[in-house]
Amino acid sequence: MLEQILTVSFMTAFLAAAVRLAVPLMYGGIGEIIAEKSGILNIGMEGVMLSGAFFSFAGAWFSKSLMVGLLCGILGGLAVSLLHGLLSITLIQNQSVSGLAINMLMLGVTSFLYKLMSNGQSYQQLETFQSIALPGLSSIPLIGPAFFNCDILTYILYIFLILTWLFYKKTNLGLSFAAVGEHPRAAESAGIHVNQYRWIVMIFNGVLGGIGGAYLVLVQLGVFTENMISGRGYIALATVILGRYTPFGMFGAALLFGAANALQIRLQTIGVSISPFLLAILPYALTLIAMLGAIGKSSEPEALSQPYVKGSR
Amino acid sequence: MQNEKNRTRAVTDVIIILVLTILTGTILIIACGANPADAYALFFRGIFGTKAGFTEIFVKACPLILTGLGCAVVYRTGFFNIGAEGQFYVGAMITTIIALNLTAVPGILRLILALAAGFVAGGLWALIAAVFKAKFNISEIIVTIMLNYIAINFLGYAVRSFLMDPAGNVPQSAKIDEAAQLKVLIPATRFHAGILIAVACVFVVWFFLDKTTMGYELRAVGLNKRGSACNGISVMKNIVLSAFLSGGLSAVAGGIEVLATQKKLLEGISANCGYTAVLIALVAFNHPIGVLIVAVLYSAMQVGASSMQRQMGVPSSIVNILIGVVVVLILARELFHKIKIRNNKEKGGRA
Repeated sequence: MLEQILTVSFMTAFLAAAVRLAVPLMYGGIGEIIAEKSGILNIGMEGVMLSGAFFSFAGAWFSKSLMVGLLCGILGGLAVSLLHGLLSITLIQNQSVSGLAINMLMLGVTSFLYKLMSNGQSYQQLETFQSIALPGLSSIPLIGPAFFNCDILTYILYIFLILTWLFYKKTNLGLSFAAVGEHPRAAESAGIHVNQYRWIVMIFNGVLGGIGGAYLVLVQLGVFTENMISGRGYIALATVILGRYTPFGMFGAALLFGAANALQIRLQTIGVSISPFLLAILPYALTLIAMLGAIGKSSEPEALSQPYVKGSR
Repeated sequence: MQNEKNRTRAVTDVIIILVLTILTGTILIIACGANPADAYALFFRGIFGTKAGFTEIFVKACPLILTGLGCAVVYRTGFFNIGAEGQFYVGAMITTIIALNLTAVPGILRLILALAAGFVAGGLWALIAAVFKAKFNISEIIVTIMLNYIAINFLGYAVRSFLMDPAGNVPQSAKIDEAAQLKVLIPATRFHAGILIAVACVFVVWFFLDKTTMGYELRAVGLNKRGSACNGISVMKNIVLSAFLSGGLSAVAGGIEVLATQKKLLEGISANCGYTAVLIALVAFNHPIGVLIVAVLYSAMQVGASSMQRQMGVPSSIVNILIGVVVVLILARELFHKIKIRNNKEKGGRA
């Protein structure tokens, strides 16, 4: 069994599959990091991604243009995040409740709209975004084909990861955004408009989550199916914790989830009989262990999921 | 004076939410190109038209009542358990194992043992998250979500290996023998004895929460952790206790689904009721009797909507949309009073 696995061709295909499966999680994860850094927990990421997936499909189908589809997906995700913003920022409601309600709502809305749109007919697969091999980089053995022979959305994600890292590590504005999540009252007294900042992060949350959902349709599958996010939004929340709220940590965590997923598929194709279900448990168990490992040096923003009321104590 | 004001406000809230929800439903039906009057007629005929249809409401409500009850108990202490889904599966699995293997034990006793073992197992499963929270202050939300996926995937493994029906090659367990099944009480329907267990649990939990010292302590912890601790109420003990109860109740829901409705263990047996239960508990404001009422209403909506779907092609996902709308409206109810809040502010009150 090991001889079969430890070949270059197996590892290359495995790694490439891992990256492809991880990209939607990474989009959701980076959107969630940005929101949580400023104190908003969006459990509704599942709903955001589902909305992104449906509207990107509808947009691309009616306009026959992938770009229009992507834009619709972004707007679809954004609308859901803004609803969460309205409930949790303006109306200072419990963020977990709001998120769960949004997930249920969007599951209903997307299934309903899809049934209306399809009216029983089945759709052909859309044409998807093509892979673009980066010259030079893509010929690096093993990691080249996996990381540098991807579609445009994956490259945009890389840029986003780097920018987010730079933003929080190197800029004053990044520090302000993090302060809003750590100690909103102190931030307010330093002249930061807490709730305004929180609205801004919800925009990023929706746009990025929307792209994450759209990725499934416009790159991976070319079709929409009911409940197609099937828990990826929740996994994205886990990657944020496992990655300790840093973009590259989250990148690694999402890759781990993607790898566990890809390994199941790959092992099945070469006929190795480890239960894919046992394998699927692995990343969840690892997340729990990682949470235990982080005791005492918590990286969680202090004011995460606490509503901010100006002037209250 | 203040009290009376709050009461009228609550009543107007309920009315506004009801009207907006019915309005949404009507718009959705029109969007499908159906006639709302006909659709509503079908909806009510689906519910009240036949004995089988009407009793089906309670068959559907049974797991929701128990999981919803589990959520309500634990939310009273401020512990946001969204692990009902996983606890349901753990209960279903353990119940199946006992019911299939302890064949030496006579039927009714085996049935009780199976449900009790399920209760304990589900309670222990929820306890993991409670310990993470009480001991290490790790957010229960993510932990319970992770535990859900672990339980769901383990069930996928179980029904393909040690629990798989040896006589077939479908991923499901062998059939529970008749002796250990929960009996159907009304012939020609699916109305089973498990429903009575669920309703009994509602009243037991209600009595426990509202009439006993332990229940009082649970609620006190939810209302004010520091205050409770200062008055000698152990926060940790109460979180752990409520989580155990909560997990147990959700697990019994799983056990009953195996012993009464499906008569075997299979994947997807929860039909997502663990997540629906969270919203049901919230709509019921975590009151046990409220959970009973909301779960039955929700199931009635489902039964009515599936009759609309069968005969008019109106998608039954309308029900998901409507419960989502109800919760969002409950959260957003402040908006109905926006103007009043502004007035209060001007008078120097706090919004």
